[in-house]
Amino acid sequence: MSRPSLVSLVDDDESVLESLPDLLKEFGFAVNAFSSAEEFLASGSVSATKCLILDIALPGMTGPDLQRELTLRRQEIPIVFITADEDETIRPRMLERGAVDCLFKPVSEATLLKALDRALCVN
Amino acid sequence: MMDGAPKEAHPYRMGHEARSTGKPDDPGCATRPDASSIGEARFREILDGIPGFVITAAATGELELFNLQVLEFFGKTPDELRDWTVGAIVYPDDLARLVEAFTLSMATGCPYDLEYRLRRFDGVYRWFHGRALPVRDPEGHILSWYFLLTDIEDRRRAESLLASENGLLEMVAGGNSISKILDELCGFVEATVTGSYCSVVLVDSTGTRLEHGAAPSLPSTFVTAIEGRPVNIDSGPCAMAAYLNEQVISADLALETRWKEYEWCPMALAHGLRSCWSTPISSTIGKVLGAFAIYYTEPRTPTAEDQVLIAQFTHIASIAVERQQSQMSLSRALHELKTSEGRLRTTIDAIPGLVWSAGPDGNVDFLSQAWCDYTGVGLEGAGGSGWAKTLHPEDAERLTGSWASLLASGESGEFEARFRRFDGSCRWFLIRAVPLRDETGRIIRWYGLNTDIEDRKQADSLLAGEKRLLERVASGTPLGSILEDLCHFVEATVTSSYCSILLVDPTRTHLQHAAGPSLPINFNASVDGLPLVLSSGPCATAVCLNEQVIAADITLEGRWAEYAWCPMALANGLRACWSTPISSTNGTVIGIFAIYYKEPRTPTPRDQALIGQFTHIASIAIERAQGEAALTRSEAFLAKAQQLSLTGSFSWRVATGEITWSEQAYRIFEFDPALGVTLELIGSRVHPDDIPLMHDMVARAQAGKDFEYEHRLQMQDGSIKYLHMIAHGIVDEVGQMEYIGAVQDVTERRLSDQALSKVRSELAHVARVTSLGAMTASIAHEVNQPLFGIVNNASTCLRMLAADPPNIEGALETARRTLRDGNRASDVIKRLRALFKKTEAIAESVDLSEAAREVVALSLSDLQRNRVILRSELASDLPPVIGDRVQLQQVILNLLRNASDAMSSVTDRPRQLVIKTEGDEGDRVRLTVQDTGVGLDSEAIDKLFQAFYTTKTSGMGIGLSISRSIIEKHHGRLWAAPNTGPGATFSFSIPRGPGAVTGVDSLDTIRTPAAATEAAASWGTRNV
Repeated sequence: MSRPSLVSLVDDDESVLESLPDLLKEFGFAVNAFSSAEEFLASGSVSATKCLILDIALPGMTGPDLQRELTLRRQEIPIVFITADEDETIRPRMLERGAVDCLFKPVSEATLLKALDRALCVN
Repeated sequence: MMDGAPKEAHPYRMGHEARSTGKPDDPGCATRPDASSIGEARFREILDGIPGFVITAAATGELELFNLQVLEFFGKTPDELRDWTVGAIVYPDDLARLVEAFTLSMATGCPYDLEYRLRRFDGVYRWFHGRALPVRDPEGHILSWYFLLTDIEDRRRAESLLASENGLLEMVAGGNSISKILDELCGFVEATVTGSYCSVVLVDSTGTRLEHGAAPSLPSTFVTAIEGRPVNIDSGPCAMAAYLNEQVISADLALETRWKEYEWCPMALAHGLRSCWSTPISSTIGKVLGAFAIYYTEPRTPTAEDQVLIAQFTHIASIAVERQQSQMSLSRALHELKTSEGRLRTTIDAIPGLVWSAGPDGNVDFLSQAWCDYTGVGLEGAGGSGWAKTLHPEDAERLTGSWASLLASGESGEFEARFRRFDGSCRWFLIRAVPLRDETGRIIRWYGLNTDIEDRKQADSLLAGEKRLLERVASGTPLGSILEDLCHFVEATVTSSYCSILLVDPTRTHLQHAAGPSLPINFNASVDGLPLVLSSGPCATAVCLNEQVIAADITLEGRWAEYAWCPMALANGLRACWSTPISSTNGTVIGIFAIYYKEPRTPTPRDQALIGQFTHIASIAIERAQGEAALTRSEAFLAKAQQLSLTGSFSWRVATGEITWSEQAYRIFEFDPALGVTLELIGSRVHPDDIPLMHDMVARAQAGKDFEYEHRLQMQDGSIKYLHMIAHGIVDEVGQMEYIGAVQDVTERRLSDQALSKVRSELAHVARVTSLGAMTASIAHEVNQPLFGIVNNASTCLRMLAADPPNIEGALETARRTLRDGNRASDVIKRLRALFKKTEAIAESVDLSEAAREVVALSLSDLQRNRVILRSELASDLPPVIGDRVQLQQVILNLLRNASDAMSSVTDRPRQLVIKTEGDEGDRVRLTVQDTGVGLDSEAIDKLFQAFYTTKTSGMGIGLSISRSIIEKHHGRLWAAPNTGPGATFSFSIPRGPGAVTGVDSLDTIRTPAAATEAAASWGTRNV
């Protein structure tokens, strides 16, 4: 059995930050959770991360800002965006920028796993 | 008094009477009566019965019988009478004549016929006509004589008086002096009245004193003692008679007691006078002229005969004196006339006009001094028809012709002509000629007055010139042409002058040539463009100093050397220049009026007066022309502005219906500008739906109110124009209301407004949707986070419980988190609710009428756009309520909009809206909005105030529900009722007074039925 893939989560909402890693661990992923983009970049987990679950609206560096930063650092981590805003126009923009997916909270378990599968397949 | 002579005394009549009796014993009968048949006693009886004097004598001439009348007259016995040649029977002067005739008759038997005086018993002599008739027998022998005596005293006296009266009157007429006439009268009286002395005294012109009249036979000392005595009752009998205007008789001065004060009687007695009869002499009108007095040297009382005589004398005296006096006053008048002729002459010469007179043939025979002085020609030169030489040659023929026809017509007439003055100049005169006629209507003379009307003529001509020039100014003639006319006019008025007019250029730095039609072109060119400096020439100097500059002789002139103006002027033949500034009404110099002469010349006062007139005319012309130009310009600007802004202007006199439109107004209405504007004409264009608006407008105008309307026109091609009209009423000086207004074609604006309005409402919808969306998003965002957490936790929990072995610990943890996230979501909702709570009511004092007025003002244009006629009946003294002004205004606005919307489909009646405020029962205030819209059915009324109920195709039905909430929050009531006619009435009534409105929390109450929805609606409303 291979080492579980490292999934990193960046979200400023406490509920998400607490609940999502537990769920992903149940599916066998290794999860590192961060409450801000800056924290993630400074963690040393960047290169090990196989998939990044990233909130769009973040204090400080936003989700898209982090995406741009990672591209600049040539750390091409597959990203699944999640957002609480029900703005349908956001998703195409995010996909265009190279996101694996853009999901609206609350996200169903199945949808999330499907997105993670696609992300990890990219690798 | 001649008539007063007793007719019975007439001898012939007596004789006739004797004959007519048919008695045979007629004394005139030549046949002797039959004495034997009639006894002597009988004969005697007959003789005595004869009313005449009869005496018989024997053939020898001895007197035999005297009838009774004879005896009574003489008062003597027959014997005394028979010796008639002595004893003072016949007046001594007449006796010789009588004796001679008697003797001759006796001797020859021939009858005699003679007049002589006989002495009456009282000593008075009377004239008698005596005839002696012989009685013969058949053989012819004289048997006896009959003497018939007839008293002819009265007749003679009458004759004599008449003769003397005539003599005296002839004297009066002959211009004899009054004293000579009165002397004659006195002489006549004394000759008539035997033994008398006569005097006449006159009353002086003051009526207070006696003055000398005549007293030829009285002593001069007596006369002088009487003259000068005052006219009163005390100074003497004549004075008294004159004073009392009645006769004063003093029969014996020795016994007289009157006039003592003046000691008149002793004075008269001293002159040997014993009696005095003074009789007043009165004029025909009863005025006392003097007194006529007869004196005797013995005491004497006037007899009736005396009185008759006196009356006759005084009558003659009165005539003489009166005639004399009128003669006197006539001659005095004549004298005065002569004097006044002298005065008249002086007056005539003093008359400022020229006076003349001519004979009936028109030949002038009198010329006043003024006439001669003016023309320098005297009567010798100008008399007859010589005056015509002094006429202006151009007027001579016309005037002499007119004079000839005037003479022919004999009517008075007037002419105007110029007369040459002594110095050769001519002046206009008005000649008036009037004929003087005698009583038969024949013209005796012509009188004439020539009045100098030169000044008037000149003023007339100046006025006419001014009028002509102003007419040209008004008709838009170019200024240059007008000023040239003025120059010509000046040159025609002021002989041998040359005139020019210069203008100050708009920059006020140079002179501009304007007119100088008779001056050399070179000269005009040289002056044109001269700088406005003192040294450039007289005209520039006049402008700079704003005063007249006179160069009386340019050859002697030292000024303007720098610009060599004088040599230039002299080279053009000009020797004198008078430059006068032309000032505008505000005092600015706008030009120069210059007069030039070819010889040296200084202006006379007359010249100055004319210059004053001319510069005045020039100033008017220039100012009017410039003003006219400015006006034309500004009119053009206005017209262009009107055209560009699609704004027409109009004036409307309501009383007369007179409407004036600007050109653009015609263009807007698309009417021919030649049409007269009437309300009917306007009405024919107004959109049928807007006719009520127009009627409303007319009603407003008639009430004298200003008005502002938006209405539509329906053009002939069916297109619609939107007009915005504003009119302001002014009351003119005669109290008539006149509206001045503007009407603007706002079709494009209205169309774009409509487009905008549509866009706006779309935007409003978008905004509402957007804001709802935003709120929803916000709600979603806040709720989605905990929801995601809940979902995640629930999944994890399920997975942990389903694991083998189940992770109970982990499941419990995730279940706890799920619970926490659920509470979190609930908190989000609570927070949002708190957000809406920020709409707090403000309690303030609100005048509902005032609040309503503001809302009306805000909605007026919307209402007008919907062609709603609004009537405000807002009470001016409404008690204030305490509440939220803005919320209440939102309710009012809502009611107005609902009313307006309810009428939008109404086309068959005026869309009338009434907003009214009034006090309501129970210390409340009520506001009512009444429309004539689609109305309500009773079923609808129940649902009306429920949220989301609406009768409108658009809208959410929120307004009335919120309105009711707001009113209820103010402890008031909002209700609706159908009208008896079309439409509905919405009213609310709220209590007044402090504390009436509840505070912040009350909104919870309001919101209770459908809190969230209402909150959302009010949220939305605020964003629109």
